[in-house]
Formats: sequence, structure tokens, C-alpha cells
Amino acid sequence: MRIVACHFCSSPCYPGHGIMFVRNDAKEFRFCRSKCHKNFKMKRNPRKLKWTKAFRKARGKELIVDSSLTFAKRRNVPVRYNRDLIQDTLKAMSKIEEIRSRRERQFYKLRMKNNDEVAFKRDLLLVKKNEHLLKVREVELRKQQEKEERKRLAEEEEEEEEDMDIESDQEEPEKVVVTLQNRSTQKKRNKKIAF
Amino acid sequence: MATRTQFENSNEIGVFSKLTNSYCLVTLGASENFYSAFEQELGDSIPMAHTTIAGTRIIGRMTAGNRRGLLVPTQTTDQELQHLRNTLPDEIRIQRVEERLSALGNVVCCNDYVALVHPDVDRETEEIISDVLGVEVFRTTISGNVLVGSYCSLSNQGALVHAQTSVQDQEELSSLLQVPVVAGTVNRGSAVVGAGMVVNDYVAVTGLDTTAPELSVIESIFRLHDAHPDSISKNLRDTLIETYS
Repeated sequence: MRIVACHFCSSPCYPGHGIMFVRNDAKEFRFCRSKCHKNFKMKRNPRKLKWTKAFRKARGKELIVDSSLTFAKRRNVPVRYNRDLIQDTLKAMSKIEEIRSRRERQFYKLRMKNNDEVAFKRDLLLVKKNEHLLKVREVELRKQQEKEERKRLAEEEEEEEEDMDIESDQEEPEKVVVTLQNRSTQKKRNKKIAF
Repeated sequence: MATRTQFENSNEIGVFSKLTNSYCLVTLGASENFYSAFEQELGDSIPMAHTTIAGTRIIGRMTAGNRRGLLVPTQTTDQELQHLRNTLPDEIRIQRVEERLSALGNVVCCNDYVALVHPDVDRETEEIISDVLGVEVFRTTISGNVLVGSYCSLSNQGALVHAQTSVQDQEELSSLLQVPVVAGTVNRGSAVVGAGMVVNDYVAVTGLDTTAPELSVIESIFRLHDAHPDSISKNLRDTLIETYS
């Protein structure tokens, strides 16, 4: 049994899997699964879908031009069986596979080489373009700080006032102040919850 | 000699076998009877192969070939192709043809020098035919039938065509093929002579229903009376010398 590549996504179609469409001009289209078949029926172009091999090849994301990729193909002229030849071929197959994977790794490395630099530049550009956003944050922080400052001042004033009252009332137990304070904080908390 | 035989109760010998001057293909049947009939006629003179094409038994209609080569359709599996290569001698070229009209036996009719083909075959296929089989290719019809392979039985000695071919058409074909042409039938009146029989330069095998008059026409047009393999090689040499001198 021949294992054919899917017409849409180029993954292998194993015997008993997928579906084949034969067009009127006798061209065969093999699909590895219904996903590919459905996409084909919707007349989608595999070169425009990111998950297909065709897309990756069209965008230079895969090794395309390489001598190690030229060995696997359908041949129309058979060669007489020869044990030695077959043995050599089998040996060569694994070797070629090894070479191919090595070249692919190399290709990937080369493709990813400048990525850090590019990403850094991109981030810089982003910051430069949206500087006003950073400023907004600064303003916000300042405002918050001011608010806190004001609150603190107000509290201090209150305390001072109460101290004065205590002084005027002459030796009231300190407990009351604490309870009062507690009540006021509780009120605030309730308000917050209501909001 | 012309003989009569049957393949599993069918008279369409040309469907289930392919006979040329250098090899013979026979389909896989339930019994060896059909194969034995061929072996009896051919003996050890030429190699024989049991095969299927694209998993089907209609190998005579699927393939086209002559002394030099064999063409098989695209659907032929790799295993079948390999089997044919291993069975047939090295000097016979085997090639798979990517052609829309995949029943090559129906669309191609050839001897060792000329091939008649269906008017609609690809240009590339035409080139492959002339290259692999070493023949001159003509696009024709036989009395209006495009399936030249079905309606014509051809050897280097003569040609038998559809019974209703006009005399004018026969003359045209005769001038194309450079062999005498006769209109006739096989299998008690069947006009599909290509599918009803197989022939090479010294043997013809027809369906069991073929009548004696039909058989005598076949024997006379293909000059099978005193033909045997040895004389053919001499004849071939003479013709070759004639052709290339």
C-alpha cells in the first residue's frame, strides 16, 4: 500500500484513513481527515491557511529547495528487484532522513537567529509609540498619592480635635474614643460595601 | 496456429490476456485452465506473467504493448509494476502512463511498427507510446469507433477490424498500418475483435464460440498456417532490414 500525502495539509494518509475525491479529469485528491475534505469543499486555498504545509512552504517557513527532498517520489519506470540494491536503498533511506532532519534543524535555527533582537526592537517601538499611556499611569499614581496625603491630613486633624475635647471634658476614659473611632470606620466600610 | 479457449465461461480472451511477440500476460483466474491453454500454444518460446492491473483482472483492456515495451495505466499499483518488471525480461521497457483514458488496451492498438490511438489521448501519452513501444503513432477511428483497441486486432502480418468497416476505411487503415486489413468477427458474430481474441505473429487465441469460418479468416489474415517462433525471428529480421535500409 502506498502512503499518499494529503492534498490539503500534506500529512500522510494511511490505508483505511481519509477519503479520496476523483475529479472528472481523473485527477485524484486524497484527504487525510474530514477537516481537510470540508475545507476543500469550501474551496479554501491551502496556501492561505496557517495550519497547512502549503502555507508554511509558501511563507518560507520550511525547507523547500534541498537535494534530500528529491528522493521520495512516485516513479513510473520500475527497476528489477535486486537484493543488494534494496539493502543499499534501505540504508540510504535512514541516512537521508538523518541528513534531512539535520538540515531542517539548521534551517530552523537560521530562521530564528535574529528573533531576540527583532523582538526587542519591536518592544522598544511599542513603548515609543504609546508613551502617553505610560504618562497617564504616572498621573494616576500622583493623583492617588495626593489623595492618600489628603486623607492622612484629615485624619490627623480629627484626632487633634478629639484630643482637645478630651482635654475639655476632663479625664474621660479612653475607651469611648476607641469605640467612636471604631464606629466611624465601620460606617465607612458599610458605605464601601454598598457601592 | 489459432486456438479456441475460454476464461471462466467468458469468450472475451482479449480482455483477460495480452499477447505480444516477446511476452504474454495472463490474468489471475480461479483455475489454471486458461493459463494452460496459452502455455500449450506458446511453450517456452516467450515468458508468461500472471498478473492483475490495478487489482482488476481485465489486464488485456488496461495495458498496451508490443515486442519492445509494455504500458500500464496510472492506477497500477507499485507491487504489480514491480511484479511485471521482475517477471518480464530486462529488454522489455515497462512504463506507467499518466493518462485520463486509462484503459490503454481500448485506446491503443499496436504492432511492432505502428500504433493506432484514440483521437483524444494526451500529447505526452502519444510521445510515451512512440518512445517506449518504438512505433509510429496515428490518431484514428475504426468505422467511427474511437476505441481503436477494442475494434481492431493487429499483428505484424495483418489486421482484423470491426465487421462494418467500409472498404474505403479499410484501405486507409491498410495504408497506415502497411499490412493487409480485413473486416471480420470473432466469437460467433461479435464485432469487438480486439477484446474477443489475442494474436501475435505466430499464435492466435480466440473465444470458444468462434466459428470455423471466422477462424479460417483469422488464420489467413494473420498468416498462421505455417508460422512458428523461429521463422518469425527470421521474418522480423527481414522486415527490419527492409525498414531501416
